[in-house]
Amino acid sequence: MLDHRLILLATPRQIGVLDWRPGHMHWLGEFAASEAGLAAFRQVLLKHAQLPVLLVADTVDEDYRSEVLPHVQGHARNELLARKLKQVFRNARFTGAWRQARETTGRRDDRYLLAALTDADWLTPWLSVLHRERVPLCGITPLALACQHLLARLRVQEPHTLLAYRINNSLRLSYYQNGLLRFSRLISSDTPTQLPGNAADEIAKTQLYLTGQRILPREARLHVLLLDPSGQLDSAQAPLNADPAFSTRLVDMPSLARALRIPDDFLAATPEVAPLAAIAGEAVQLNLAPPELLQRHTEFRWRHGLNLAAGIVAAIGLTLTATYWLHAQGLRDQALQIQGEAQRTDARHAAIVRNFPALATRPDQLGLTLALATQLNRAPLDVNALFLPLGQALTAHPEVVIRALTLQDTADGTAEITLDARLSEFDGNYRAAMSRIDSFVARLAATPGVVAVERVTSPVDTAPTATLTGKTTGETAPEDTRFTLSLQVRTS
Amino acid sequence: MIRPPLATLKTSLLLLLAAVALSAAGIFWSHQQDTEARAAVQLQQAALNAAHANQQQGQTEARLIALHLDAYHALIARGFVGEENRLAWIEAVHLANQDARLYGLTYTLSPRAAAPASLASGLPLKQTRMVVKMPLLVETDLPRFIDALRARAPGLFRVSSCSLARLTDAPPQPVNRPELDAECELLWFTVAADGKEKK
Repeated sequence: MLDHRLILLATPRQIGVLDWRPGHMHWLGEFAASEAGLAAFRQVLLKHAQLPVLLVADTVDEDYRSEVLPHVQGHARNELLARKLKQVFRNARFTGAWRQARETTGRRDDRYLLAALTDADWLTPWLSVLHRERVPLCGITPLALACQHLLARLRVQEPHTLLAYRINNSLRLSYYQNGLLRFSRLISSDTPTQLPGNAADEIAKTQLYLTGQRILPREARLHVLLLDPSGQLDSAQAPLNADPAFSTRLVDMPSLARALRIPDDFLAATPEVAPLAAIAGEAVQLNLAPPELLQRHTEFRWRHGLNLAAGIVAAIGLTLTATYWLHAQGLRDQALQIQGEAQRTDARHAAIVRNFPALATRPDQLGLTLALATQLNRAPLDVNALFLPLGQALTAHPEVVIRALTLQDTADGTAEITLDARLSEFDGNYRAAMSRIDSFVARLAATPGVVAVERVTSPVDTAPTATLTGKTTGETAPEDTRFTLSLQVRTS
Repeated sequence: MIRPPLATLKTSLLLLLAAVALSAAGIFWSHQQDTEARAAVQLQQAALNAAHANQQQGQTEARLIALHLDAYHALIARGFVGEENRLAWIEAVHLANQDARLYGLTYTLSPRAAAPASLASGLPLKQTRMVVKMPLLVETDLPRFIDALRARAPGLFRVSSCSLARLTDAPPQPVNRPELDAECELLWFTVAADGKEKK
């Protein structure tokens, strides 16, 4: 459906229909230019509704003209060509221009081939049927242009080629310069020149005409290709090759079938399909149809484009939708698997927890609780240990009498002992009393386990910053020698 | 290409619009499905990770329980874990005083309070302050009393501070009469049972 079309080969006597799509073609038959033929043709079109149609015209009433025109583009070119076609072909309805090349020198003008069907009344009934059945006509082109594509398929490389093609009992002579159509004429079967022996004469005449019109350079050697499924042109090869102005080659049907990639028997049964098959997949370079006849095809192309766009959009949408959906299904399956695994893991955890004994605390706090109990069980304030250095010092200094003792746990590995004491006897000699207290303090400081000894109060504070008061009445008491010490003792 | 009248293209345009709309709807719907499925996977993955973590924690806890359960039960029996047992403490200090052959004591128990955080190690450790006052014959009666208390103690305690003061200024006499006044501050520790009961 992408490039499916009907190719019509129209002559004043009949019309042939080829159903073509890439790699496949089917000859639907020929229909005479009569009421019955038109009706049958209409039935065929109805069976192939909505297929675009290319009409290939094969008639003697055609004209070709080569023109060199200034290089213009766009609307100006259209107007220029319209004027030129009107000027050359006057009131011909089916005209067309093909910009073949651009000159390489001078103003670099464009070289055009102008063509027209000078008498196309015979075409009107066929076109009426197409119009009535709303067939999208994509173009009308001369058979000589279809034959140009035939030469391309045959890989003809010669710069000056004349194709002598016998079809429908007529002889068509078409001249191609560097593979591009320059001129064509049809010699119908009504003329006496159609005798096989006259074909060489017609070719020679055509060569003279082309030279006279300066279409063919005078010194050029014309390469003649003889294509005749009936083999009637074979006899023209010898006389032509005898003339040094020609080089002639016969194109046999098997070679043609191979070039066109169609079966031999199909080509042998319907030899007229050869040019149609050659042009079927190509763009129409020379379109003789007036714009009003192409309106249906324009609509067809728009519809086709829009439908194609809708199809592409739908395909992309469907693909993306399917991709996302399939991915989502995969993820859902994955989620279900993970969920199952999580449930199994939860069940294993529940089985573990089910066997736990009743506890008043969290299991992770068991170890902490035990460690804390161990830590608290260690007595930082070991009274016996604290009494030991104190007892040793007091044994060494029996004159020191303890009045009060305070043990304090400082929780940093040491304990603080505050000692409130006095001397057992005092005779008023403060110097001697202070000396004994100093000795006691020194003894304590030297005792193992004692970190520091600080004198908090003394019987006499001789510090220069202190205010010192007292009396010298001669009455003395041991209470006057009270002092306070602060000891730091290591507990661990 | 000259554009034909829109009327002739109506069906094709509608077809294109329908294709665009249906494709957009399909893509949107399937994308939503995909997003939801992705979220479901993430949710289930998080649940699985949590389940694995729970299982691992359960195994760890099972090992901890097996390792510490006996010792922990011993602490419960000793009164360190659970509610404070003031009667037992009072009995303990009384019996310790008798064991040390001392002359009686007076006590004061303060309300239970939270222990310092530096000591608690994150546990709900509580401490109850008990001040014990008693007369002593000699200084060494104090460590004998504390040792006796430690032997009888139904819980864990620490001696926070002790002070000894001589009652008279006279020199010690060889008679069985207390001449020292002792005051000790004891801290009884308990761990509140705030853990959830597990079966």
